[in-house]
Amino acid sequence: MTKTILCLCRDVTAEDVERAVAEGYGDLETLKRFTGACTGPCQGKTCLESIRRLVADLTGRALEDVPAPPRRPPVRPVRLGTFAAEDEP
Amino acid sequence: MRPRRRAAALSVLPGTVSADLAATYEAVIIGAGLQGLALSYELARRGYGRVAVLDSAYPGAGASGRNGEMIRSAFASREWIGLFDDSLRRWQTLSQELDFNVLFTRAGYLVLASTKEAQRAFSRNVEVQRSFGLHVELLDAHDVGRLCPAMAPEMIAGGILQLDAGFAHHDAAVWAYARAAARHGVEIHPYTTVTGIGVQRDAISSVSTSRGEISTKVVVDAAGGQAREVALMAGVDIPVETFRLEAMVTEPLGPFLRPAVSSPAIMGYCHQTTRGEFVGGTEPDAPRPSSSITTTFAGARDMATKFVRLFPRLAGVRLMRHWSGLVTQTADIAPILGRAPHREGFYLDCGWVYGFVGAPAAASLMADLISTGSTPAALAPFGIERFASGALIRETSLVVAPAAAGER
Repeated sequence: MTKTILCLCRDVTAEDVERAVAEGYGDLETLKRFTGACTGPCQGKTCLESIRRLVADLTGRALEDVPAPPRRPPVRPVRLGTFAAEDEP
Repeated sequence: MRPRRRAAALSVLPGTVSADLAATYEAVIIGAGLQGLALSYELARRGYGRVAVLDSAYPGAGASGRNGEMIRSAFASREWIGLFDDSLRRWQTLSQELDFNVLFTRAGYLVLASTKEAQRAFSRNVEVQRSFGLHVELLDAHDVGRLCPAMAPEMIAGGILQLDAGFAHHDAAVWAYARAAARHGVEIHPYTTVTGIGVQRDAISSVSTSRGEISTKVVVDAAGGQAREVALMAGVDIPVETFRLEAMVTEPLGPFLRPAVSSPAIMGYCHQTTRGEFVGGTEPDAPRPSSSITTTFAGARDMATKFVRLFPRLAGVRLMRHWSGLVTQTADIAPILGRAPHREGFYLDCGWVYGFVGAPAAASLMADLISTGSTPAALAPFGIERFASGALIRETSLVVAPAAAGER
């Protein structure tokens, strides 16, 4: 049996997304919260566009009609100790 | 040829509708956050009639999906304990009641004392809390160190642990109420912006939206960060100011922190979620009113500095995401619950800072008021009249930064 993993950080498969959309999570904002997709260390950089395309396909919409959730900082994960470091004199 | 997938009807969230608005509703609730959804559920359960919940975005898009999701009732005043302990009891069985797992985790809620003075004040609060039957323990520094071994010893002077409090999953709570409300016939309309509220002879008559006009005699302002603008549409000026708060989540870690922790010394609050992330927020030293929900570098730095001070091992842990949300604060930081003045049929459920915790009880009490016309005793202290009469609620155990003088 094969699985198509879309979100590598959270192990979310294409089947997970299909099931969530069928259940009614057809908006990427709610879909990402329900499945956990795009909320891991890569924050969607690997998976968001494939998931968007699948949701567009599943809901019969053009890609541009499936808005992507806003990107949040930081661009890459940053150690708290780096933020917390003292300024150089 | 690849078979074409069947296009599903577009649903934003289970429980929402995509149908047109009806011409008339018994009640219209503005704001599909936790307050509005819970209230719609409680009204529908009482057989109130046709209820619509409108939101300019998706349900839970505002503070309901941005808060720290911590739950306690161990406050220091009769009014707060009355409302929030009712809520805590509802949280404890909410998953069963709504038939959806809100992941309420009874991990305990620690309010940390970092100074001897704070610990002395806490020992008085514990007496009050015990007199109301709350399950609280006054912990000494040794107890806190055992409960939270990752915490920096120099931050620990003691604390109050509420044993049957904890945290839940804020999105799951929104979804649970949305589904339960829909099962009872509530219509939840996402992406429906309210543009006006009609008033005739000092009574509510209609609501104008981006998707058409609605006739109704009852409107509830549960609009969170937009509550003041919504009230102004009905000609009511409510005494709230809007502040931005910032929060963050780290990459997942092995379990290191069991209870929810709130620290007046760093003006911060945090917990470790069931999937291992450390989630928390801190408040700026002197908050200024803002309705912006962008994040700031200063905010990230403030949180990182304070949480590393509290848990030194977090220095090597990565911040994964950082966001902000809005609170609307009143002069006494308590919510505004009840009838709006001089507007028949207009109700206020706003001005929340501890709104995630308070929603289940507030919704039930507000539904009692709206369906019976009489104000429940537990709701009465939170009426808007207190700002005119001066009968403000005195509550001393909040972890909320005071705004700069004259700004509230």
